[in-house]
Amino acid sequence: MNTIKLVVTAVDDTIGGIRTLTLADPDGAALPSFTPGSHIVVDCGGSANAYSLTGDGNSPTAYVISVLRCDEGAGGSRWIHDELALGDTVAAGPPRSAFAPVLRARRHLLVAAGIGITPMVSHLRSAQLWGRDVRMLYIHREGRAAYADVVAGLGEHASIHTGRAEFTDELLAALADQPFGTHLYVCGPASFIEYVTGAAADLGWPVSRIHLEHFGSDALDPGEPFAARVTSTGEEFVVDAGVSLLEELERRGFEVPNLCRRGVCGECRLPVSAGAITHRDLYLTDAEKKAGDALMACVSRGGDETLEVAL
Amino acid sequence: MRPDLELTSVPGWALTPTRPDADLSGRAWTIVAFGPGGADIARDWLAQIASAGGESAVRLHHVDAGEAIEVLTADLADARVGWRLMMAGPAEACLQLRGAATGLGVADDEMTVASTEVDSRAVHCVHCGAVTRARVQLDEVLPCGSCERKLLVYYHVSRRGGTYLGFMVDAEEPAGAVS
Repeated sequence: MNTIKLVVTAVDDTIGGIRTLTLADPDGAALPSFTPGSHIVVDCGGSANAYSLTGDGNSPTAYVISVLRCDEGAGGSRWIHDELALGDTVAAGPPRSAFAPVLRARRHLLVAAGIGITPMVSHLRSAQLWGRDVRMLYIHREGRAAYADVVAGLGEHASIHTGRAEFTDELLAALADQPFGTHLYVCGPASFIEYVTGAAADLGWPVSRIHLEHFGSDALDPGEPFAARVTSTGEEFVVDAGVSLLEELERRGFEVPNLCRRGVCGECRLPVSAGAITHRDLYLTDAEKKAGDALMACVSRGGDETLEVAL
Repeated sequence: MRPDLELTSVPGWALTPTRPDADLSGRAWTIVAFGPGGADIARDWLAQIASAGGESAVRLHHVDAGEAIEVLTADLADARVGWRLMMAGPAEACLQLRGAATGLGVADDEMTVASTEVDSRAVHCVHCGAVTRARVQLDEVLPCGSCERKLLVYYHVSRRGGTYLGFMVDAEEPAGAVS
């Protein structure tokens, strides 16, 4: 994968626990345009984290990302908060689009919780630039009002909450009364996404009108050890608890394309020809998981029988 | 030689009469019934929706193929997300209505189709653009109603127009050899 070098040209710590970085080309050249809702994978001192780009995507001269400090996380966000400084250079992948607006939608209803606001800011700016009908519902904790000024710029079509009850009332009212042709976009913690999509389904929203952006899996347990076999070489080995299939394959010299290493991006999908799979990713659809012929090597694991990896 | 038709643009319900249950995941419904067979299915759907308590949110229309699009457009004018389109009748009429609905932004998972008859088809001549309606099966040859070319009825149906693609079956033969 081609990597781009980005230099930190501004650091904004105004909002507690959220660091906003402005990243630019070291020579001041233009950066690749991106589809609204795209993210970049940033090398955070060894671990790779995906962060949403908050611009409208049109010929950017800088990428702006906002990083919530996660003390229980793998350390990537702590590295950005504690180690990274103005003028430093970071390596990142080019923008990847996995949460694009549906351009033929009659209206875009954006629903965000907490730091889930970041891809929505990109959607919002693009929608305003191109004159698309857009509505926003945003809930955040007291004192964590990231991008509230941008959202408030929508006027009567935005509503910002810090209380769950009022937010929920407004959400349910909004979901119950959108003109036909509206698409719904949701970003926030897993439990929030589950609540919003459940409420939407109860009100008759079909799957094709609901679009999600996950932060990533909640911390996964280390899992049970399992046996695996690589078809091409016949190699058989055990993947220990706490070690991912991806890590074990890499240790044995196999090159497996990968990016997020947390079951979101879909890059490390591997074909499986035998053995039960314990799926733990957010990428494959339910039907694909049921088919049992592929897994995300970074998070998913085998079962009792030997997992045959068709590499 | 032709592929598994599941892999083509021809829906299963356009090949075999199909009678699915009502889509109860919605909150409001437009039911379009073509002919007596369609009316029969619509009656069942209405009963299913009623037993789920949604009867008051149903608009039921008994129409002929020409009126269906007008009725659909009118219902869509004030529809909210959660609305569903269900249609029952000959596959030819359903394909045409599905095409119009797709153009109006109705998603595949917002449509349910029941087919009562699947032997009549609208075939679009790729040479002159005319549409010929006839009882004809896939892979059979049909004269174009306008330019009279011999059209092979191909396993492709337009999502937008609801017509099958027909192309000249003897295009490779010298003109004199064609009887």
